[in-house]
Amino acid sequence: MPVRVVDNSSPSQVSGTTPGNALPQPCTLLSVGQAFSGTQNVSSLQKDEAWRVNVKIQGCDLDHGYLCGTMEALNVPMADTPVVTFWEGEIVDTKNYTFFTGKWGATEEDDIKHWTKFPSFLPLLSQVEADGGKSLDLSNYPYIFMRWKEQYFVNVGTDCGLTIAGFYYVCFSCSDGSINGFYYDPNSSPFQKLELKSTNDGRLGFSFSSYELQ
Amino acid sequence: MPTSAASNHSGRPEDLIGRLNSTHTPYEAKLKALRDLKNQIIGNRTKKQVFLKLGAVPSVVSILSAASSEDSAQGGGGDNREFRDSMLIQSAAAIGSFACGLDAGVKAVLDAGAFSLLFSLISHLNEKVADAGARSLKLIYQSKLAPKYDFLQEKNMEFLLYLLNSKNENVSGLAASIITHSCQTTVEQLALSEAGVIKRLVSLLGGSLIQRDASLESLAAVVKENSEVASKFMGPENGRALNVVIELMKDKYPRTRLLACMCLICTRNTSSSYLRDSGIQNKLVLVLLELLDDPGQVGDEAPFVLSSLITEKEDMQKIAFDENVVDKLCEHLRAGTFQAKRLQGLFLALGDLCSKLECCRDRVIELQVLNFVTEALAHDSAEVRGAACTCLKNVSRSVKKLSAGQFMNEAVAVPLVQLLCDTSTSVQVAALGAISNVVVDFMPHKSLFIQCGGVKQLVQLSKSMESAIRVNAVWALKNLTFLVNNKCKDEIFSELTSTTLISLLSDPEASVQEQAFALIRNLVDGSLYSIEYVFGEDGLLLHAIGKQLRSTSQIDVQIQVMYTLSNVASGNECHKEAVMNQLLPQAGNDTETLLIKFLQSTDSRLRTATIWALINLTFPSSPGTSSRVTELKNAGIISQLKNMDNDPCLDVKLRAKMALGQLMMFGDAST
Repeated sequence: MPVRVVDNSSPSQVSGTTPGNALPQPCTLLSVGQAFSGTQNVSSLQKDEAWRVNVKIQGCDLDHGYLCGTMEALNVPMADTPVVTFWEGEIVDTKNYTFFTGKWGATEEDDIKHWTKFPSFLPLLSQVEADGGKSLDLSNYPYIFMRWKEQYFVNVGTDCGLTIAGFYYVCFSCSDGSINGFYYDPNSSPFQKLELKSTNDGRLGFSFSSYELQ
Repeated sequence: MPTSAASNHSGRPEDLIGRLNSTHTPYEAKLKALRDLKNQIIGNRTKKQVFLKLGAVPSVVSILSAASSEDSAQGGGGDNREFRDSMLIQSAAAIGSFACGLDAGVKAVLDAGAFSLLFSLISHLNEKVADAGARSLKLIYQSKLAPKYDFLQEKNMEFLLYLLNSKNENVSGLAASIITHSCQTTVEQLALSEAGVIKRLVSLLGGSLIQRDASLESLAAVVKENSEVASKFMGPENGRALNVVIELMKDKYPRTRLLACMCLICTRNTSSSYLRDSGIQNKLVLVLLELLDDPGQVGDEAPFVLSSLITEKEDMQKIAFDENVVDKLCEHLRAGTFQAKRLQGLFLALGDLCSKLECCRDRVIELQVLNFVTEALAHDSAEVRGAACTCLKNVSRSVKKLSAGQFMNEAVAVPLVQLLCDTSTSVQVAALGAISNVVVDFMPHKSLFIQCGGVKQLVQLSKSMESAIRVNAVWALKNLTFLVNNKCKDEIFSELTSTTLISLLSDPEASVQEQAFALIRNLVDGSLYSIEYVFGEDGLLLHAIGKQLRSTSQIDVQIQVMYTLSNVASGNECHKEAVMNQLLPQAGNDTETLLIKFLQSTDSRLRTATIWALINLTFPSSPGTSSRVTELKNAGIISQLKNMDNDPCLDVKLRAKMALGQLMMFGDAST
């Protein structure tokens, strides 16, 4: 297991820099081919339930604040097989995307309500409230904030009885590759929590593959 | 009844040639034969070829030569002079006609020595003779085969300016054609600009149709990719010249509109600030769109000009998309049956549009144009096949579509694999580019490519004499091996063999080595079982990796070597020890400092890759980690990692902390 590194970065490191911010630096744990596994809590008042989830990163384009991959839900009650969806992510880099979603039915209040659930967001809160976080330089911040939006079902039809109407507020830790997220869909149970950890396919260490498009 | 002259002077090509060649043919009859010949071949490609085969060009050139010699020897006036002038005019016109639009004709004309004879006609006192010479030379200069004019020789530049300043529109037009044909280097562009050519070309924009078109085309050649010259074109009189060209975008002649666009685009592409006004940008797109409808040469060339406007420029691609250019190009493809050139241009422009923007790729897929693209992969013309590959390559640059398995099917894979045996190297390279993208396919369809014989071909090409083919073939194999299942990996490896891989690791081209290492890196990723590929045949491959680790000085290669070793080191105890032996073979050896050198590299990617190897070698739960930690401590790794606490690269900083954390679990970490 990777050792968790104590985060000693302070908000002063990230606030008050000039606009026209640098993009996030590449993080090997969030590169193409990397896999994560964990759970999504889908509990509601009636039942207490969590689905096992696997995520694989398939594409990453930091210049455009773009990330994409697949998400596999394993023990979905109404499906015979694991359900795989393809998602696309917006990286909050304050250049391509800000903390405010501005679409998918999410208001600024919804955004703040969700982002503040991540402790690593709290040092940024005041600045985000002041100017949407436009003046923040997140390029050296050890957390990457994203929104992941599922685009289509990969292995089942749209008639599978499942919905991908919502999206995830996501926080990735560059230190240990852990991912936390909250699913947002006004028509689903609120604050479904996604918790993922970097996986290594039964290896004693980390392995990295790569491809390059021409 | 008088008999018709035609009965004596048959129009049969052989007879015509006979009359031209015979010393007994009276001058009048020779002149008539010349006229007949010219009239027969004008605009008739087949006739031109027939006469070429019969050796008509040397005959005509010798008539021109004889008339020229007589002309300079005798001078004089009267009927004789008039007659000689007619011979000069008719022979020059026939020569020009042979050279028009037919490379074989140009070659014959040049071989027969007509070039210098035609040049000598330009200074002829009779303007009609000069005119005929200039027209012919202009036609020759339209061919790539025409000799390059050396502007850098002073007397040549003087002569060019003399031509350019001529009142005769064909002579000044010829000068512009010479510039368009021969101006290729920055030095030549500057020399022309310094000689005042731009000013003169700009003044020709106000001349006749011939002068205007010739001037637009040569202005484009002189400013192309040369910001210094472009500024001389943009600057004077508040951009008056530029405004003239902008106005010419609305000219009634399609060719003038096309050339005005071309000239503006060449200027625009020299700087990030020229012609950024959205009105002009939109206008350029709209004019070119409309020119696509032209059924002739202008319509054939329009997509190439469009391509030069949008290639590599995301902002222009967006504007073009918003103006429905994708739909329009697709409509043209649907209309079908074109000249190969137009088809090539349409695929290139469509490919450019899809190079960056997902919305363009979505639209291409939506409009089901992929069928046309795959069909064109088997086109007779190599240029069309290559352009179709480029288009497919750019459409398949979409991870979203690759994830949906959109491209890996027989309709795409089979013709692409066939192109790997194409007779044209550039088509092979273009096909490899498309294959590299298509095989990334995230659905479990990669086996289809192997079934089509793709791996066999790629492995063959990885041994090609052409480095461009080798690098692209290995690149495609690397992408194919990315996240592929074990069965496919076995097939790829058995086709490749350790021997081929080893020779690729020490390829003369560093870019091939880099791709080969990245391929092995992917091969040993995934299940633990995959690591064994480098341990077969007594670890032959691993030793070759170690050898290259010690010998290469190329950072891009070193990065891939370190990720390969790091992936192997993420395996079991035995794998870790083997990597350790490559990284720290024996005390006292220079290699010992290699790790430190990599950790101190100026390239953060190499620092990161090296730390990942260290993290894997010191992974806490592996039994032999303790002894490896000791060895690494002795090699001075800990103090080096501590120095990286403030590394400017966040990833390096975090990984160094992670490695230190692991090292510190094993006793005293103060060394």
